[in-house]
Amino acid sequence: MAELADIENEFIRDEIEEFLERPDEIARTIETFANTAPEMQTIAAALIDGDNDAVDELTKEALGSGTEALEIMDDGLISGMGVVGIKFRENFIFVPEVLACARAMKAGMAYIEPILSASGVDPIGTVIMGTVKGDLHDIGKNLCIMMLRGAGFVVHDLGVDTSDDEFIEAVEEHDAKVLGMSALLTTTMPNMGKTIEAFIDEDLREDVKIMVGGAPVTQEFADDMGADGYGKDALACVELAKKFAEEEDEEEF
Amino acid sequence: MKLNGTEFIIIGENVHTTRVVLRKGKLVTNNPDGVESVRYLDAGKKRRYLVIPEDVKKTQDYEEGRVKHVKIAVQAAMNGKGAEASEGLNYVHRLVQRQVDAGADFIDLNVDEVSLRPLEQKEAMQWLVRTVQEMCPIPLSVDSSNVETIQAGLESGDRRAGRMLLNSASLERLEALDLAKLHDSQVIVTAAGESGMPQDDAERIANASQMVDAALDRGISIEDIFIDVLIFPISVDSAFGVHAFDTIRQLRDKYGPEIHITGGFSNVSFGLPCRRIVNDAFMCLAIDAGVDSGIIDPVTSRPTKVFSIDRGSRAYQLAEDMLLGRDRFCKKFLRAYRKGELKV
Repeated sequence: MAELADIENEFIRDEIEEFLERPDEIARTIETFANTAPEMQTIAAALIDGDNDAVDELTKEALGSGTEALEIMDDGLISGMGVVGIKFRENFIFVPEVLACARAMKAGMAYIEPILSASGVDPIGTVIMGTVKGDLHDIGKNLCIMMLRGAGFVVHDLGVDTSDDEFIEAVEEHDAKVLGMSALLTTTMPNMGKTIEAFIDEDLREDVKIMVGGAPVTQEFADDMGADGYGKDALACVELAKKFAEEEDEEEF
Repeated sequence: MKLNGTEFIIIGENVHTTRVVLRKGKLVTNNPDGVESVRYLDAGKKRRYLVIPEDVKKTQDYEEGRVKHVKIAVQAAMNGKGAEASEGLNYVHRLVQRQVDAGADFIDLNVDEVSLRPLEQKEAMQWLVRTVQEMCPIPLSVDSSNVETIQAGLESGDRRAGRMLLNSASLERLEALDLAKLHDSQVIVTAAGESGMPQDDAERIANASQMVDAALDRGISIEDIFIDVLIFPISVDSAFGVHAFDTIRQLRDKYGPEIHITGGFSNVSFGLPCRRIVNDAFMCLAIDAGVDSGIIDPVTSRPTKVFSIDRGSRAYQLAEDMLLGRDRFCKKFLRAYRKGELKV
């Protein structure tokens, strides 16, 4: 089993010591970083620090010196974002700081994405996002999209007031495995259930994982209407999308 | 209420079924029988306990540490029996009384989270309007995202404490303006667009102007119109503060002193720590820009205190800089928070 001292990067070691509290997360994070190259740890550290110029520069350098795009994404960017997510959950950092980290991630992904898609690899997954029919609120949904893109997802944003057909068409067109719906009003929230029904009617429900969120939405409501998951905030949304994307990968083996 | 000699209209926003208290906070405690409750003081300063029902304890909200206290009280008062009902009613009464004591000019009522069924929502609004007007010397504001619920509220009001306020009409539901006219209520019109939220001050002004014109066309007087400029969180985009202030200034110029300009101020601090100082600074700047009203909780954000705040303090300056778009990603503000420099 790896130990903290096995991680070369001091910034990362400090982050783990200072901000991680759950034993399982500490062990998992140490294991992750102890097995990555020092250059990848530097990228992760810059990302955790929200320094998009540094992530930009370091990603370019790493690619120039022959590191695989996939390694940079997994060991540098995604592992860094994992620490960011925990810090946000525990209230050590706040929304603007997570957005800065997401921007840094995006700076790195700007190099990685074209390489991966040229070689036929879908970065992590594709997510369709939209606010439901009748609802014009989009701040929370946009926050989720920024974070999802930051986490390496390709996101197609359908905007607000999205009809069942628009959701269905987008999922089919982009062959997306994850769909996220948002609603801020109790009057529009039931439209999430109606959209899920529409997917069932079109016999497409099995093809896509559906996650829901928004201020009035609860886990109970999500369960009731047959959603696959509920995210209480933008980070929870990213966690769900990751979980769904991983399940998808497993099924493909 | 009067603020520094001029009228500032407070739409007290705390009788909302969305409101939560934290389980680990000091308000949630065991009653003398050992049952988990939300504690409060009645009019005679006697400690009382609103029991958290068993079915609420099964919700994820509760498991994650949040208790929807207003919803519990309204449901207990409406549907409970005996002691449970009277405790719920008492709790609602205290909520209302505290808003009144703190200087609210309207009590804003929102039952959107009582039930997803439109009929139950309407019944809850009817009940709440009838109940609160019995205990309340100030007029009511009927707040819902559902026009039918608003209608139910307006129909149940007897206006004994003054004309009601409709919260709100917007381009996507212009028919709410007809309701305001029909029931001779005042009305909040929002700057929301027909097909989306406004992206900047120009869109806000265009949307709000259309709403004001539509209200005037229906014979609603300008002094009965409140414009809600829609305030978005500064944590999401550092330009959101400036959008709000520019909108307020331009609308005040355009429509003169008679129209009311308002907003839900506490929205601005979503996603940040030390929300109080951010809200207070925002309110000062919004008043400078020309609002004469706020949809606020006057108990936690006391307007008289806000107005006499020390604008030279470091905490205020950091909040002001952030709200004026001079602190990208709220970096300086958050750094100061970590150093403990925001404590006033």
